[in-house]
Amino acid sequence: MKNTYLLTSLRCALFGAFAVTTSQVQAESIAITNATVYTVAEQGILSQATVVIDDGKIIAVYSKDEVPESLSTDTLIDAKGRILTPGFIASQNLLGLVEVGAVSATRDGSDKKADLTFDASLAFNPKSSLIAYARKGGVTSNLVMPHGGDKVFTGQSFVVNLSGEFDSVIAQKNAVMVSLGSSRKGSRALKLQTLANDLEDAQKSLAKAEKAAAKNKKAKGKDKKEAKEPSRSQKVMYALLAGEKPLLAYADRATDILALLKLKQQYNLDLVLVGASDAVLVSDEIAKANVTVMMSAIDNLPSSFDSLHNSLANVAKLTKAGVKVIISNSGESHNINQLRFDAGVAIANGLAETTALAAITANVADTFKLNSGRIVVGKNADLVLWSSDPFEISTKVDAMWINGNAMSLRSRQDALRERYTADTDMPRAYTK
Amino acid sequence: MSKKTLPRNLVMSKLTHKFINKKSAFTLFATSMLSLGLTACLPNEKQDTKIVINKNPYPSTYQALPAQSTLLTNATILTGTGERLDDADILLVNGKVMQVGNNLSAEQAKVIDMAGKWITPGIIDVHSHLGVYPNPQVESHSDGNEMTSPNTSEVWAEHSVWPQDPAFEAARAGGVTTLQILPGSANLFGGRGVTLRNVPSHTMQGMKFADAPYGLKMACGENPKRVYGSRKVLPSTRMGNVAGYRTAWLAATEYKREWDKYDSDYSAGKNPQAPTRDLELDTLMGVLDGEILIHNHCYKAEEMAVMIDLSNEFNYHSGTFHHAIEAYKIADLLAANGNCAAMWPDWWGFKMEAFDMVEENAAIVDAVKNSCAVVHSDSSTTIQRLNQEAAKVMYRANENGFALKEEDAIKWITANAAKSLGINDEVGSLVAGKNADVVVWNMNPFSVYAQAEQVFIDGAKVYDRFDDKYQAKSDFLLGQNLSNHVKNQATEAVTAPVSKPVNKPSTTSSTK
Repeated sequence: MKNTYLLTSLRCALFGAFAVTTSQVQAESIAITNATVYTVAEQGILSQATVVIDDGKIIAVYSKDEVPESLSTDTLIDAKGRILTPGFIASQNLLGLVEVGAVSATRDGSDKKADLTFDASLAFNPKSSLIAYARKGGVTSNLVMPHGGDKVFTGQSFVVNLSGEFDSVIAQKNAVMVSLGSSRKGSRALKLQTLANDLEDAQKSLAKAEKAAAKNKKAKGKDKKEAKEPSRSQKVMYALLAGEKPLLAYADRATDILALLKLKQQYNLDLVLVGASDAVLVSDEIAKANVTVMMSAIDNLPSSFDSLHNSLANVAKLTKAGVKVIISNSGESHNINQLRFDAGVAIANGLAETTALAAITANVADTFKLNSGRIVVGKNADLVLWSSDPFEISTKVDAMWINGNAMSLRSRQDALRERYTADTDMPRAYTK
Repeated sequence: MSKKTLPRNLVMSKLTHKFINKKSAFTLFATSMLSLGLTACLPNEKQDTKIVINKNPYPSTYQALPAQSTLLTNATILTGTGERLDDADILLVNGKVMQVGNNLSAEQAKVIDMAGKWITPGIIDVHSHLGVYPNPQVESHSDGNEMTSPNTSEVWAEHSVWPQDPAFEAARAGGVTTLQILPGSANLFGGRGVTLRNVPSHTMQGMKFADAPYGLKMACGENPKRVYGSRKVLPSTRMGNVAGYRTAWLAATEYKREWDKYDSDYSAGKNPQAPTRDLELDTLMGVLDGEILIHNHCYKAEEMAVMIDLSNEFNYHSGTFHHAIEAYKIADLLAANGNCAAMWPDWWGFKMEAFDMVEENAAIVDAVKNSCAVVHSDSSTTIQRLNQEAAKVMYRANENGFALKEEDAIKWITANAAKSLGINDEVGSLVAGKNADVVVWNMNPFSVYAQAEQVFIDGAKVYDRFDDKYQAKSDFLLGQNLSNHVKNQATEAVTAPVSKPVNKPSTTSSTK
């Protein structure tokens, strides 16, 4: 785990030229005691456990029997048996890139000219009113997946936390997105060809560059040439080929999925399937290739001829076949707080509770190498204390920490409700 | 379309009495008297055959599925009238609720122990586009919005319904027994909506709720002004929207006056010339006559207030406001004027007019006396879990000072929805005499884990989560996943019967 973290840091240093590292928070030290801790790790569920956080990180997780007699933290919180989970990690949305869907001036998630170098994190707005509302659903971080342009390579994703602070972009350009499958114009074949050709070209040019570099190393004096700098696009492709960036591939039909699995094998890609409505038809192949699937848990209708096998049971079926699944509420940016209900629906349709929790925490963290998603020592203190079962509609978030900082659970919606339910003789505008 | 000459009294008799207003009742009376031979006392001019508008040219052919008397026992029953009965029984006979209470018995009924289960009225969605924007979402199926003129009151959603939309089955599995299919919201007047029973059928008429009044879809706000403004056609502004409504209602008022005059002149024994039929104005006149109910896509408080004044200006009722994101700002006004507000629990932000969402909206509307709060879906996905949509409102409201119970919240998706659609005499609550539309849930339906286990429409089981026999499948999905291989093909060929009985095509709806 520590290694993973180091690796992530290294990658940020290498590929995120403008990467904003999380500021060193001056978070106080906190001990959350008497909690039912869903670690989403080897320890499983710990009852009457204590989690200690300091300097933004989890520094201790004590099971019931391990709790020391005295804890010298700034704050002590008695969870009274309530459930503590890692903060949820949403994905596949435009959080921070859109304020009002139909107001184009508030949309920064797409651009006709966008190509695979498109980095929408530069447009991320941590002050968006969507963020505070999303926190109400226990979401502490998010993989933003801009729509990009109309090319096969649509751009790159980025990761943010939901602190609402200016330093909330955790990882820029962390994965490359491609859009495959059916479309109203043209053939899906050409999209697959473009992807395959671009990978092949990149592999060739990389080999050529390596050969030239090797030759250059041996050369002396005048023969020594300055190495040719690869283009920005080439750098991204090289990162894909090196497995340094995951390839987020939107595809629903089984044939497209199989074609992607083949490319993964050929180029050793770190492939993540997105959408994957008909993945159940090839679940064994996906499991064997050790590929993560990012999908909706509630899209159960045959919305296209690529999605004839959509079902509420698909997440459970894929999981049973050994596929690692990330549940995301696709397309929704304003209601990502409902992620937990979608996971609940998956549970009602056969998914194990712990697997459902992993599908919105650890699985996302593992796939994108984030230092969160589990309650274990060393992870970011992104935590949620729930009034009861995290997936139930009757449950609410009682407390939330991001990097060890206690977060507000109040949104603009609360202010509106209070204004219009207040007892006043004055016009509502005076109720603030 | 040619002029219809069916006698008006015949047509009227097909409508339920409650939709006959004073004027219609008078016409009915007058027409009946005519048939008794009053013509003898009238002036000399011979009368032409009376021109009468056929108000039901696409009649329902719905028939309840085969049913037997059923007694469901020991359940927690939410009646839809605000009551909760524990360890209670419900008896369904001849398609109706016969009795609800404790320790019921019935000699000939099939008794099913529902201990631990919850029972609610069938779920009703007042705002759906199933069948008109069906799955798969292909261009060929996009039949939900006639976006060619700001006033398309002449179109009827029922003429677009594809009954094979697989979303009907999915909604049924979520307990939805009745739903109104509306045209889209691009136009000021989008056309007529139709209320359907959620039974499998290969014709629209086979699903049509026989006595439900038609709805007229109207739309406020951004959609009409965006669609037509971009074409340099009125409306391009909200004031243009209202001008468009007023122009249309003026024409409808005049049209109605012409027909009323024709009717009264004819009744007086004269031989007047009938007004020229106009399909657009027929629909608007139906609203002015109180026979067609308004279903108005209208998000914002100030626009709903204007729409209420507009209805008073032209003497009709402004009906139900759909997607009423800001209903909570004018909850008093809505209740005082007798409007229903149909709301999502939490959709917001996709448009400017959807920016001021509060999750407690339906609860705030509901808290006012004589209110009519409805939770709707407008979605082929969330229609499958309207119980959870209502749950979100209830729990969020209770976190903020409300004290709502399941028996209150269920009304938003049953009784109040039925009231909005003008069918609350038939459905929406579990009261003796009402249609036996019943959902059996595996647990408290306001849980995220709740599943509808059995669904009854008119006393007939139309869905069973654990019995494939009661899980209908759309034509579209049939045979999509057949195996390409046959086991023991040769053997099968030899043992296959020489002649198979011919399957006669069924003329009625069936579950399979």
